[in-house]
Amino acid sequence: MTQHDPALLSAALAGAERALNQAIALAPTSHQALQELSGTLLGIEVTSLDLTLYVDMVSGTEIRLLMHCERSTDAFVRGSLEDFAALAASDDPAATLINSGIELQGRSASLISLQQVISAMDVDWEAPLVDVLGDVPGHQLAQALRRLFHWSEGARTSLKRQVSEYLLEEGRLTPPKAELEHFYDAVQSLSMRVERAQQQVERLMARAATNRNSR
Amino acid sequence: MSQDAMSEEAAQASHRDGDTTDFGFTRVDREAKAGMVRGVFDSVASRYDLMNDLMSGGVHRLWKRFTIELSAARAGQTILDIAGGTGDLAARFSKLVGPEGKVILADINAAMLEVGRDRLIDKGAIGNIEVVQADAQSLPFEDNSIDCITIAFGLRNVTDKDMALRSMLRVLRPGGRLLVLEFSKPVSPLLGKIYDQYSFQILPAMGRLIAQDADSYRYLAESIRKHPDQETLLGMMEEAGFMECRYHNMTGGIVAVHQGFKA
Repeated sequence: MTQHDPALLSAALAGAERALNQAIALAPTSHQALQELSGTLLGIEVTSLDLTLYVDMVSGTEIRLLMHCERSTDAFVRGSLEDFAALAASDDPAATLINSGIELQGRSASLISLQQVISAMDVDWEAPLVDVLGDVPGHQLAQALRRLFHWSEGARTSLKRQVSEYLLEEGRLTPPKAELEHFYDAVQSLSMRVERAQQQVERLMARAATNRNSR
Repeated sequence: MSQDAMSEEAAQASHRDGDTTDFGFTRVDREAKAGMVRGVFDSVASRYDLMNDLMSGGVHRLWKRFTIELSAARAGQTILDIAGGTGDLAARFSKLVGPEGKVILADINAAMLEVGRDRLIDKGAIGNIEVVQADAQSLPFEDNSIDCITIAFGLRNVTDKDMALRSMLRVLRPGGRLLVLEFSKPVSPLLGKIYDQYSFQILPAMGRLIAQDADSYRYLAESIRKHPDQETLLGMMEEAGFMECRYHNMTGGIVAVHQGFKA
């Protein structure tokens, strides 16, 4: 158990648990995969926050987040917050798990399955809007939100491209990729030549020392 | 309950011969305390949950959530929730122990139990819940019959706390645990001062506004101050025979949850 105030942690976990379960409720395609994980208990220790929490897969539609659990875990992972953020956002969780600083005890399969289910969750955000506002206004608001989301996605991509172009072409603040790769190759080639020259010098010096001794 | 009626009853009780005990900041006859506490809870029963939410800003739900985690309740177990009143802990336990387990919702106050039973039915928590009117000092259950006992915000209203703790130990199975969730002593003096202002100024005013009953809520604030602090309650649990006793402070020590096991 960590030294954090249990009420504060409970607040954070209760909020996250509610959001997660609401998202699951709105993503029926994830229920089957989650059902296959039901009964699984995952332990997560975030070393940088001195925090341990447990993910209890209760059923195909319910996940519990706990700060105290006395059951033995199916998988227990330990790492920094940055490691877990990288794992959560990863397209290849197995590779990320192997290459990151995360320590794993137990079965990695359940952890990887959970990450894949959550990242592939197709949440139907329109359903609660329709429930609250009715069919027509709910659908219209959902459409407007979708358009806003796509616009913001487009704006984000466009901004990223423009900033990149400015840094490369206008400001000449960063070198183009090809130029950078050519520079790396040149450095690598120079390094190898220096290494070879060093070996030749050592051989000549050794020969000179042998000649001196034989006289 | 009005301030006059409460004071008159307290005065009459304190003039009688025999042992006295605390009723908030007033000393009253031990025999009279249970009736007076019943009066307070009869008065607040219907709006108890609403007031708890307003008084704690909803934080009481987080304190209870952590208590449920500490219970480690699992399918098939028998859980006794003493002073369970409006049944919010019992509803959660009902789900955790499942159809093969049992939850006993016990309270000395019939009005609170009635509200609790109705709420549980409304939530669909039926089938594995028993509702029992019982005094924590002499629990009407067999020895070694309960896996886990919780008492949330109830122990401070019990007249003889040592007797209640011994009674809880008796009914617990070996290895069973007791969890006492109760107001306690803030660890920071500054927080203590702010908390005092809140308890004696704002709390009765909220009680007057919401439940039309400032006196009952003044009693609640006073009873919190008279309740044993963290270390004292820990000692009482050890004295009663509980093993591996410890506590967790929550919200700066305003509330603590004590845990002890039966050997």
